Amino acid sequence: MSTVSIGTLQHHSLRENPQYSPKSKAFKPCSLNCSPQTKFFFHSRRFCNFRAPKHSHVVVKAASAAETAVVQTFESAELFFKETFPLKRTETVEGKIFVRLDQVKNSQIWQLTVGCNLPGKWILHWGVSYVGDVGSEWDQPPTEMRPPGSIPIKDYAIETPMKKSSSSGGDGFYEAKIDLSPNSAIAAINFVLKDDETGAWYQHRGRDFKVPLVDYVQDDAPDSNIAGAKRGFSIWSGAFGPLSSLILRGEASTTTGPDNSTNSRDPKQESRSLERFYDEQPIAKQVSVDNSVTVSVRKCPETAKNHLHVETDLPGDVVIHWGVCLDGAKKWEIPAAPYPPETIAFKDKALRTRLQPKDGGDGCWGSFTVEEGLEGFLFVLKLNENTWLNCMGNDFYIPLSSSSLSARSTQSLSGGTQIPEKDSKENQEGSISKYTSGIIKEIRNLVGDISSEKSQKTKSKEAQESILQEIEKLAAEAYSIFRSSIPTFTEEAVVEAEKQISPVKICSGTGTGFEILCQGFNWESHKSGRWYMEIKEKAAELSSIGFTVIWLPPPTESISPEGYMPRDLYNLNSRYGNIDQLKEVVKKFHEVGIKVLGDAVLNHRCAHYKNQNGVWNIYGGRLNWDDRAVVADDPHFQGRGNKSSGDNFHAAPNIDHSQEFVRKDLKEWLCWLREEIGYDGWRLDFVRGFWGGYVKDYIDATEPSFAVGEYWDSLSYTYGEMDHNQDAHRQRIIDWINATNGTAGAFDVTTKGILHAALERCEYWRLSDSKGKPPGVVGWWPSRAVTFIENHDTGSTQGHWRFPGGKEMQGYAYILTHPGTPTVFHDHIFSHYRPEIEALISIRNRNKIHCRSTIKITKAERDVYAAIIDEKVAVKIGPGHYEPPSGQQKWSSAYEGKDYKVWESS
Amino acid sequence: MEVSVIGSSQVKTELAYRELGFCNLKGGKAVISSKNRVCVGRSTGWRKSGIRFTLRATAAIQSEQLRSDSVSGRSTRSKSRDNVRLFVGLPLDTISDCNAVNHARAIAAGLKALKLLGVEGVELPVWWGIVEKEAMGKYEWSGYLALAEMVQNAGLKLHVSLCFHASKQHKLSLPEWVSRIGESEPSIFFTDRAGRQYKECLSLAVDDLPVLDGKTPVQVYREFCESFKSSFSSFMGSTITGISMGLGPDGELRYPSHQRLVKSNKITGPGEFQCYDKNMLSILKHHAEATGNPLWGLGGPHDASTYNESPNSNNFFRDHGGSWESPYADFFLSWYSNQLISHGERLLSLASSTFSETAITVYGKVPLMHSWYKTRSHPSELTAGYYNTTTRDGYEAVTEMFASNSCKLMLPGMDLSDEHQPHESLSSPELLLAQIRTACRKHGVEVSGQNSSATGAPGGFEQIKKNLVGDNVVDLFSYQRMGAYFFSPEHFPSFTKFVRSLNQSELHSDDLPEEKEEAADSLRVSSDSVVCMQEA
Repeated sequence: MSTVSIGTLQHHSLRENPQYSPKSKAFKPCSLNCSPQTKFFFHSRRFCNFRAPKHSHVVVKAASAAETAVVQTFESAELFFKETFPLKRTETVEGKIFVRLDQVKNSQIWQLTVGCNLPGKWILHWGVSYVGDVGSEWDQPPTEMRPPGSIPIKDYAIETPMKKSSSSGGDGFYEAKIDLSPNSAIAAINFVLKDDETGAWYQHRGRDFKVPLVDYVQDDAPDSNIAGAKRGFSIWSGAFGPLSSLILRGEASTTTGPDNSTNSRDPKQESRSLERFYDEQPIAKQVSVDNSVTVSVRKCPETAKNHLHVETDLPGDVVIHWGVCLDGAKKWEIPAAPYPPETIAFKDKALRTRLQPKDGGDGCWGSFTVEEGLEGFLFVLKLNENTWLNCMGNDFYIPLSSSSLSARSTQSLSGGTQIPEKDSKENQEGSISKYTSGIIKEIRNLVGDISSEKSQKTKSKEAQESILQEIEKLAAEAYSIFRSSIPTFTEEAVVEAEKQISPVKICSGTGTGFEILCQGFNWESHKSGRWYMEIKEKAAELSSIGFTVIWLPPPTESISPEGYMPRDLYNLNSRYGNIDQLKEVVKKFHEVGIKVLGDAVLNHRCAHYKNQNGVWNIYGGRLNWDDRAVVADDPHFQGRGNKSSGDNFHAAPNIDHSQEFVRKDLKEWLCWLREEIGYDGWRLDFVRGFWGGYVKDYIDATEPSFAVGEYWDSLSYTYGEMDHNQDAHRQRIIDWINATNGTAGAFDVTTKGILHAALERCEYWRLSDSKGKPPGVVGWWPSRAVTFIENHDTGSTQGHWRFPGGKEMQGYAYILTHPGTPTVFHDHIFSHYRPEIEALISIRNRNKIHCRSTIKITKAERDVYAAIIDEKVAVKIGPGHYEPPSGQQKWSSAYEGKDYKVWESS
Repeated sequence: MEVSVIGSSQVKTELAYRELGFCNLKGGKAVISSKNRVCVGRSTGWRKSGIRFTLRATAAIQSEQLRSDSVSGRSTRSKSRDNVRLFVGLPLDTISDCNAVNHARAIAAGLKALKLLGVEGVELPVWWGIVEKEAMGKYEWSGYLALAEMVQNAGLKLHVSLCFHASKQHKLSLPEWVSRIGESEPSIFFTDRAGRQYKECLSLAVDDLPVLDGKTPVQVYREFCESFKSSFSSFMGSTITGISMGLGPDGELRYPSHQRLVKSNKITGPGEFQCYDKNMLSILKHHAEATGNPLWGLGGPHDASTYNESPNSNNFFRDHGGSWESPYADFFLSWYSNQLISHGERLLSLASSTFSETAITVYGKVPLMHSWYKTRSHPSELTAGYYNTTTRDGYEAVTEMFASNSCKLMLPGMDLSDEHQPHESLSSPELLLAQIRTACRKHGVEVSGQNSSATGAPGGFEQIKKNLVGDNVVDLFSYQRMGAYFFSPEHFPSFTKFVRSLNQSELHSDDLPEEKEEAADSLRVSSDSVVCMQEA
């Protein structure tokens, strides 16, 4: 079951950098990067080459704020170098979230207002609990409660964009209001906030916010996450989201809430004793701020000295930490005196000078005179104790000699050394090897200390502890790297690696490479009670269309008829048919040469029995697990396992895959399915819920011939403009595939999302990313991308995220001609689209397009997108005009439909 | 985030309660003051690491004289009976197809963690299919050299496993040119009764046949070893202390008798005899004719069970009245196991002669075919090439062969305990291990240990410990294997605990003798020189 689940999402970003850990307060130590803007770069080049004449006019700007003697010097000097570097940094902005429950004047209606006073694309992601609900699931609120502009997310949540409010007064509040009818059966409203700009989620103490409307709500009082209690906020960004969005704030400040405990405890009471309350909690968000620094260098012809002028619009006190270098090695040295005022030497390698504030305005400047014959001037800027600014990870380097200047233009801005003198606290950026060899050095010192002192015993104890801590740190580091990327993923690396694999080699991540999937059911398929028999009848037909793999619905006994709430995994009698029919249908598909994927729901499993607290977490059947098999971080199922290694799915106990016995049992079960039923591979449900490394385990144990995981989280596309760049989204999917070690592919949700935007809004330019490649997963790791345009969740009768109506064939023209492994949805094959889909599949097969086919995007404009695949097939989608280039290749039209056309090279 | 997970209270408490002796000066002092008396009593891992450190530094920086001193120091120590040298295996894919170091950062961090933990060194699988990938005699060592340097810089030792096999599971293959030959000449691979080839290593029947573009596999292996020796000459004896010679499937001296086992099966079947490739059959035929029973040379036992069948389902392995006790079976099984021993002899003598002038020890790995050990016929061992039944000791001849080549014997499965074996498999890893060790003792072969590569056998650490202490003398233990699981919070804390428990009984610091000053000085001098080396 695919859900965009919200709730106690544990942030599991592996890329996360320790320095953003929630320990520190408002300002994080960070090193900020800037990159020279190209246009300025050109400027400076021109200056260099032309050796600007004396009394250059260009000077004026640079010196405008500094009309002192320096200018005089400048006037007589030759402008040798000038460049402006942008400085990007993030700053923490503090604000608050407030929750207000109030009665609308002169009416029975109550209104819940959630607001936030920080700028951003705020979205309220919410659901309700009804009176009598036991679990932690959210439910969809009744439609009359939904504010205009709300979008349902699956069947349990609503997303309501928060609007800029005038009513709440003051400086730009964003708020959403929910009307509450007093006699509905709603027990509580649950919500989290999402900033669509950054993808960060804002939670309450690691849990959802909960506003109780009747007071009996959830008896786990001392620990409950009821808004109004004095708690802090924790905030997490969407998995693998931008680092900058990860902040944690301390305790909440003001609380002016009602005391619910005095109220009557009858949950069913009709007249509620709702009380007004108002509660606010501080939050912090990181926003990026752009500044710049301009450096100009002049040579004084009389004294042969170099005059540097550094000017920046950074606010506040800025200290420049600088030095010079004598040769190309960029080794920091201290130049000869004199130094500007307010300069101190730092260790013996650099100088620190406070920059002078500009007269009347933000920013500051400094000017430095250094000898001739130096190779360059190095600096970094220090904004406050913890914020350093450098140039794309390196020191700023200003060439002082003409040879270094010319060298500089060929030498890319990379390279350069670590800032040498930062002490260990400041130098958070130090490379790992440095860091760890530092440790070894320290240990040696400890050894030395111990030996020189007689008080050996206590010392060595301390040494032991610190060493063990270092071991832990190192192990954690090794763990996270091993875990996250095996091997390190880069786009190029994969492209290269893919080339080495011959296309016929079968591996579970790709099958043969020529697979075409059919999703063999929809959301209603369980209704007849004999789906297996029905789809069996279609086997030959599907085979003749050209499908090589069929994905059948989840086979296990399930609480929900569709099969996604499995209970007894070994009971394969489902609403789709019984086990014998299942075997029969699998056999039939094998006969017609189609492989069969079983839909394996591994993330969660419904319990058979309640524990002593009345919580459903005890299992029966052959896998009679107890609550140790349930993750610990969903309080509503009181699991005793470890914390979840992924996101939680709230409707059922999430299985703790870190438990050996669970994995062992699941492997055994999967192997049993392979042997007993004859499944060839897996479609893995809700793999966001647990670590991909476990998936690798399962796949290694079962050696399927194809496996695909459903890693579905939301693109930031629903409100307003969808970002052209969806790299973060596809990276999350790639990261998952990586965690499985490439043993499974993943549905290319990114491509579907981008197709939505492109087709719906006629913005076909979206179909090419900044590097001219397909913008979805298929652009980065085509062999593992399983492309689709619709499934039982997004379409069918659920329609959670339906493909733009009437444009499905454009979608198929895209995925069936492109690399990746395309999936066709049942409902589309058995519709009027069938002839078109058949034609496209036969073009794909005829031209032997496979998951690693090469693609060249030849057009990506407002109303038309076109690409050439393997130099054999050309395709265009969109209403605009396109003809494949008439060069040596001759193109003949192969198929044509509404707003799309396919050509074959002849 | 991960840091906080690992730094869990579990580890910390442990920290507070158990006192370690690492960084203990005693060890350092011992080395400096009397170089040949390296191991005094049972030193901790920490202390050991100090020792190694110093040794290497002095050896490298001062003179040849010192180097040989350090070597002899090492061998003295390795003979000391009360210390297990712990190695940790590096990931199988440490070096990629393209000779790059995979996850180098993780390995760098991992090496340092191991060093701090007091681990002696790491084991590195060196794959034939990577080094000699493209063409015969075209070796590409760069990746492995880079790694050896990393290991050296981390102050660890290196045990190299030369892998002349492939691993489908880990996507490691034989050299491309060998696979190509195999396509046109499939008889270079082991073959079972049904004609299925095992393509992860060459059949022992071709050892001395010129099947590889005119050269015999033994020649090719020898040249590989020579190339290894010369390429790593600067590491030999200093960083590299031992070599495991690849002897067959998974590097073990055995037939791939379990090539078709279905993994999901709880019970490991008896496996099948692998004597059906063209060359094996012809050797068998000659042998049968020579012994006057030409009819016995037509194939393996016709009544043996198949891979996953219970051994009792057919006549051959049946406990009572099974044909394994017949004269024919004795003929066949003797031949089958002797072929294996001769193969081991060929490769181990090759290795020990190649590396004889270096100061490194050669190891060979013998499998622990423990399922069905409690039956009378020991079918798993029989199919793997060990003619070991209740009535015949099949390991004597093997250990004798090791002894004659002065090789040490590596035994896997030291983490397996009887109680965790499925009852129905009639398996007994513990008894088998004891049998092999007895044979080793008898022939003076030193035993080294490994855990089974399956991650986390239940109660594994306790079992390993049991196998390493007391009367069980083990030269080194190679723990399998570094990777994500190894460093995971589920595993690493217990590994740490294990390492430290191995070195439990160190002296309290109060019990240490005086005379610290001189030692401290020399230690500092030598560690300074290490600093220079590392930073150079």
